[in-house]
Amino acid sequence: MAALRTTSRLFNPLRVSPVWKRGFASVEPISAFSEATSKSSKVIPESKTSTIKEPAPEKESKIKTFHIYRWNPDEPTSKPRMQSYTLDLNKTGPMMLDALIRIKNEVDPTLTFRRSCREGICGSCAMNIDGVNTLACLCRIPTDTKAESRIYPLPHTYVVKDLVPDLTQFYKQYKSIKPYLQRDTPPPDGRENRQSKADRKKLDGLYECILCACCSTSCPSYWWNSEEYLGPAVLLQSYRWIADSRDEKTAQRQDALNNSMSLYRCHTILNCSRTCPKGLNPALAIAEIKKSMAFT
Amino acid sequence: MALIARPSLLRQVCTAAPSKRSLSTKAFATPSIHAASTSTIRHAPQSVLIQNTLPGYNSVAAFHAGGRQAILPPLPQRIQGTINDAAIVPDPTPAHGSYHWTFERLIAGALVPLTIAPFAAGSLNPIMDATFCAAILVHSHIGFESIIIDYVPTHRMPKTRKALMWALKAGTLAVGVGLYEFETNDVVT
Repeated sequence: MAALRTTSRLFNPLRVSPVWKRGFASVEPISAFSEATSKSSKVIPESKTSTIKEPAPEKESKIKTFHIYRWNPDEPTSKPRMQSYTLDLNKTGPMMLDALIRIKNEVDPTLTFRRSCREGICGSCAMNIDGVNTLACLCRIPTDTKAESRIYPLPHTYVVKDLVPDLTQFYKQYKSIKPYLQRDTPPPDGRENRQSKADRKKLDGLYECILCACCSTSCPSYWWNSEEYLGPAVLLQSYRWIADSRDEKTAQRQDALNNSMSLYRCHTILNCSRTCPKGLNPALAIAEIKKSMAFT
Repeated sequence: MALIARPSLLRQVCTAAPSKRSLSTKAFATPSIHAASTSTIRHAPQSVLIQNTLPGYNSVAAFHAGGRQAILPPLPQRIQGTINDAAIVPDPTPAHGSYHWTFERLIAGALVPLTIAPFAAGSLNPIMDATFCAAILVHSHIGFESIIIDYVPTHRMPKTRKALMWALKAGTLAVGVGLYEFETNDVVT
């Protein structure tokens, strides 16, 4: 094609339209370009075009108000504020994430939030919706239009922007429990590290954790002592490796928790089990760790 | 902090009449959600959709309702080491960890029969009384100690922490002496 263009330009330099004049990386103002094209084309009468109307509220529309926490790091002196958006639920998907994406796409592109898989497996869209930490993609929008929804970032986290929390400390703590298989002896047959079905069953309810941080940020103990207390999510992950029959560093893992802060700041408040969007039970995992360390 | 504890407070502030103390540093802020719905949209050329969807496009609602009363406001974020370093793992101290926890549970468990026994048996055995007093003293000491550890972090307020711990020890001692006096002088067997 490029060759054809140059030849046509050679033959007829005066009649070349501005479209061809634009190089692939030109920085010409778009206005000049559009003006030039509209001059060459005739005006189509209104009767022959289709018209896209501005979406207006319909009679049967279900208008719901969403109050969303806003904070912009570019204006560090301004305090966080709540911004209200109204959406027609008939035109919105069923989940909170659908509403957020629709607001971002159609209303306010500056709204910032994390999302990825939209099906509750990545854990990106964890936020506080109507007072409960949950994944926006797993949280249905209450169809009652009178009740207004309030969306905040995860509580007691440093906010990067709008609904995006800073989870650096959370991930650093996750790294500190060494979340990988630790073995010194190779498997007897030199192939895989195998385990019995009963041993595998002990990991059910532990390996499903996606580290969305909903439970940790709902734990008052973690709010007050997040520098030292590991929090339910990381402790559940720790127990996932303590309970693994293939892991040979169980004692070291327990020793790492055996101080007053890392594990024993858990006061069985059970907010973690109540809020977990995946239906797991971090409180039980913590209790199992405590039990396994009780008389040793 | 106070907001999470008292969401009703937040709601009240949001709907309250505008006060003199500005709840936002933005100059064009309209102080309440309801007032904002009637306010004019300042950014003139905007689509109907955006106008419909944002009733108070420029509205700024009060958010930090309890900020002024914060007892221990959070410090700016500080990350130890680089982002890729793991959090520091403390040295194992079972005396403050697993032993402490086990002892705590044993005391708490022992308190149940010790509390019921005098009612059931109706006896006022001095040894029983002494055991009960000691158990309740230790139990409450551990409980208060736990409160101090939770709410007075060492890295934020090391002096207050130390002072409170000593105050707790003094209090426990005073209660112990008081209970001893009470048991030896006032209880008539």
